[in-house]
Amino acid sequence: MSDLILGIGDFGASRDPAASIKTYALGSCIAVVLLDPSTRTVGMIHFALPDSSVNGRKAQDKPGYFADSGIPLLIREMSRVSGNGNSSRWVAKLVGGAAVMKCEDNFNIGKRNIMAAKKILWEKGIKPVAEDVGGNYSRTVTVPVGTGEVIISCPGRGQWKI
Amino acid sequence: MEQTREKIRKAIARAPVLSVHAQRLLQICASRDHDVEDVIEVIRCDATLTARVLRVVNSSVYGLLTPITTIERAVTYLGERMVTCIALGESAGRLMKKPLPGYEAKGGDLWKHDLYAGFAARQAALHARGELDADLAFTAGLLHDIGKGIINDFLVDSAERFVSGIASGELPDYLDAERQLLGYDHCEVGLELARQWRLPTPIHWAVAWHHTPARAPEEGRPLVYAVHVGDVLAMMAGYGTGSDSLQYGLAKDWKDHIALDDGELDRLVLEVNEEFNQAVEAMNDE
Repeated sequence: MSDLILGIGDFGASRDPAASIKTYALGSCIAVVLLDPSTRTVGMIHFALPDSSVNGRKAQDKPGYFADSGIPLLIREMSRVSGNGNSSRWVAKLVGGAAVMKCEDNFNIGKRNIMAAKKILWEKGIKPVAEDVGGNYSRTVTVPVGTGEVIISCPGRGQWKI
Repeated sequence: MEQTREKIRKAIARAPVLSVHAQRLLQICASRDHDVEDVIEVIRCDATLTARVLRVVNSSVYGLLTPITTIERAVTYLGERMVTCIALGESAGRLMKKPLPGYEAKGGDLWKHDLYAGFAARQAALHARGELDADLAFTAGLLHDIGKGIINDFLVDSAERFVSGIASGELPDYLDAERQLLGYDHCEVGLELARQWRLPTPIHWAVAWHHTPARAPEEGRPLVYAVHVGDVLAMMAGYGTGSDSLQYGLAKDWKDHIALDDGELDRLVLEVNEEFNQAVEAMNDE
């Protein structure tokens, strides 16, 4: 069993039923979780910002940092690990994109991240079936590959699934 | 409640003492007209701090081909910000790195939050509309939450109650929740500690008003808004301190003090993440 712990800008996929994929304290960042029910493969990315055009160098060094450069790479990694390039039956779940209270749009990176993730998934034909996004709390996400359950936890709020 | 307030006052009085050298370093860094020689002079007087600074500069993160063996070169190479982090971590680490069960936060979470807020406050200061020393903003960001290490010990089984009270609208924010339960919030406790540690006055402003920057004296507002924005960015980046993370408001008028559009905000976040990651790696890798 080799668990995948993803930091900011990391992505990965696994079809080891004994493994889990986990990322900590999303804040305004987003975790996009992809599930391929036919091969029981799970993939996840933890991205921080919507648009890589703000810094081309960073986009090259760490493409997973941005929604537009990272999500396509996650899809490619899912195809590689699952051996199934047909993503039309994959499903997505979105977690994160929080903000502080009374946060106006200009400062709301979380809201911009949510919109970017949904737009890219829509363009790729992958449907988000569940989400726990926005709000004023920072989420940790764990996905046991064997069950594909997306487990969310947060200090002071306990643990729940989507 | 008066009994609890009295216990908190006693806890502040018993708080770990900031070393003379760390105190002096913070005072020097807060003064506008200091130079690197002043910083080197203080560090040279503290053998433990000197050794730690040399270990950090020679860590693999900086990839030096030839090791640095003198404190002069080490301070010049690392810069004032990194040296301040090392001095504070050395002197106040017991308070700033401990677990905070009252906030359901692990050991080290507060320290990382403070570091991130320091780097973010400095970057915000570079966009300040008023005149502001960016390195002072870094130091103030590093110290803004010193009250949490003390007030944590009085927050027993309160995290869930506070969070649900805020979610239902019964409590306006976490600061108010602390005050309603204990008669003190972490900003007020921090201010008492800042006075006890004889920190420079601008640091007092940042500690006391980083959640309510409009209440800071006018001369301190550029600094306090920079720290406010730095604190918010740390929580948004996932470097909060547990249950209170994101449970505060963003000041409506922040843009009157810090000039940032969407693109600049995103670039600032990238810059802060890089500085923060390098600092954490260097301090873990010595």
